[in-house]
Amino acid sequence: MFYQPKSIGAALDRKAELRERGVFLAGGTDLVVLMNAGKATPEHFIDLSHVPELRTINRRNGTIELAGNVTHAQCGKLPVQCLAQASMSVGGPGIRELGTIAGNIATASPAGDGSTALLALDAEVELTSVRGVRTMPLEKFFVSYRKTALAPDEMITKVTIPTDYQSAWLKNGKRGAVNISVVAVAVAQPSRLQPERPQAGRLCNEIRIALASVAPFPVRCHKAEAVFAKGGDIRQVAETVREEIKPISDHRASADYKTHLAGVMVRRLLENLT
Amino acid sequence: MKKTVAAVYDRRKNKATTRRSQSAATAAWALAFTLNGKRVSKKVKPTQTLLDFLRIEMGLTGTKGACEEGECGSCYVLVDGKPMNSCMMLAPQVQDREVVTIEGLAKGKRLDVIQQKFIECGAVQCGYCTPGLILAAKALLKDNPHPSREEFLVGMEGNICRCTGYNKILRACELAADELGLKK
Repeated sequence: MFYQPKSIGAALDRKAELRERGVFLAGGTDLVVLMNAGKATPEHFIDLSHVPELRTINRRNGTIELAGNVTHAQCGKLPVQCLAQASMSVGGPGIRELGTIAGNIATASPAGDGSTALLALDAEVELTSVRGVRTMPLEKFFVSYRKTALAPDEMITKVTIPTDYQSAWLKNGKRGAVNISVVAVAVAQPSRLQPERPQAGRLCNEIRIALASVAPFPVRCHKAEAVFAKGGDIRQVAETVREEIKPISDHRASADYKTHLAGVMVRRLLENLT
Repeated sequence: MKKTVAAVYDRRKNKATTRRSQSAATAAWALAFTLNGKRVSKKVKPTQTLLDFLRIEMGLTGTKGACEEGECGSCYVLVDGKPMNSCMMLAPQVQDREVVTIEGLAKGKRLDVIQQKFIECGAVQCGYCTPGLILAAKALLKDNPHPSREEFLVGMEGNICRCTGYNKILRACELAADELGLKK
């Protein structure tokens, strides 16, 4: 059956009833492609494209709350640099109008562009079901390759990001457009004024670094962040990133190349940011 | 001669023959939406893509299907004025929405400025990508009447043309933008 609920409540009721047998259809940029290829044959669809609540963007207490169905095109216009850059690099205009932020997270692609930016911003995801609401940092949401913490009756209703961060994002791929990353990197640090500058040429010692296409799912690099926090210079940070990530060799590039590239990209981003 | 290319449509039966859009969800969906300015109400198989619906059920074959995974942009339609890949949408998703296909751009016999400029510039060779490119340009120029070359490249990056090398296409789009600017 095909269901087209008009509210989050109605969609959650339906999902609670169908559980694994029902799939949420948001942008369709993954699901319909899999169906076209004969790789997915869902029994029931819960189409979220007609739920207006899922399209809203709210600013609250220095954060931006993005409802689940906010599209890449909408994210591309946000004043949050790394997320805007990442969103505008997804597919082409048609895909950016279709694809949603919740879909980008839920599909848990190792190469997720939006997820990298959201990880660096330490985004919080809100998961809602008929049982209630829970929130968790995005980092906890990714469990393993294409596996997430989402329960069979839950929906990603909201993604909350801070606004008081300066950030940047970079992707390397094989083409200039409609491009899946060989490596993607996001970095973010608080733009709040620090009491005193920790050292020359640096605004603060706090940094968050996230990478895609170097692990089974998009990851934060905590060890490299710790090196930065201790005052390590950018080259040491980049070197730690190289040690921390575990890319695989695939049709896009070899593991060695990705490891090297990741270090170069982290270094470039940090040089521009700090 | 045996065809090696995956035949998506069986022309004699006028229907899709591949495994596309398979699902147990078969109950018909009463679809109502606006297509090229006209109200359409039709029962559809909910798992049919918008692309298949337009081509097979509505006979509007201007919208093309090629990669069917969002790489090529030949299936672009405008939904509420925004460009979207119709191969990645299921038909019921346009319920109560306004869809414009390439067939809906001309006013009677008068072509849209972008279509006119594509012809004048020789921006069409095999023509397969043309509907998608024209609709991408249409959506871009609506949002941004005076795009720079860079903005054109971003606005049309979702469309692949394998014949022209894009120069004439960009030229046509820029001339269309100029002409639309003069009219205002």
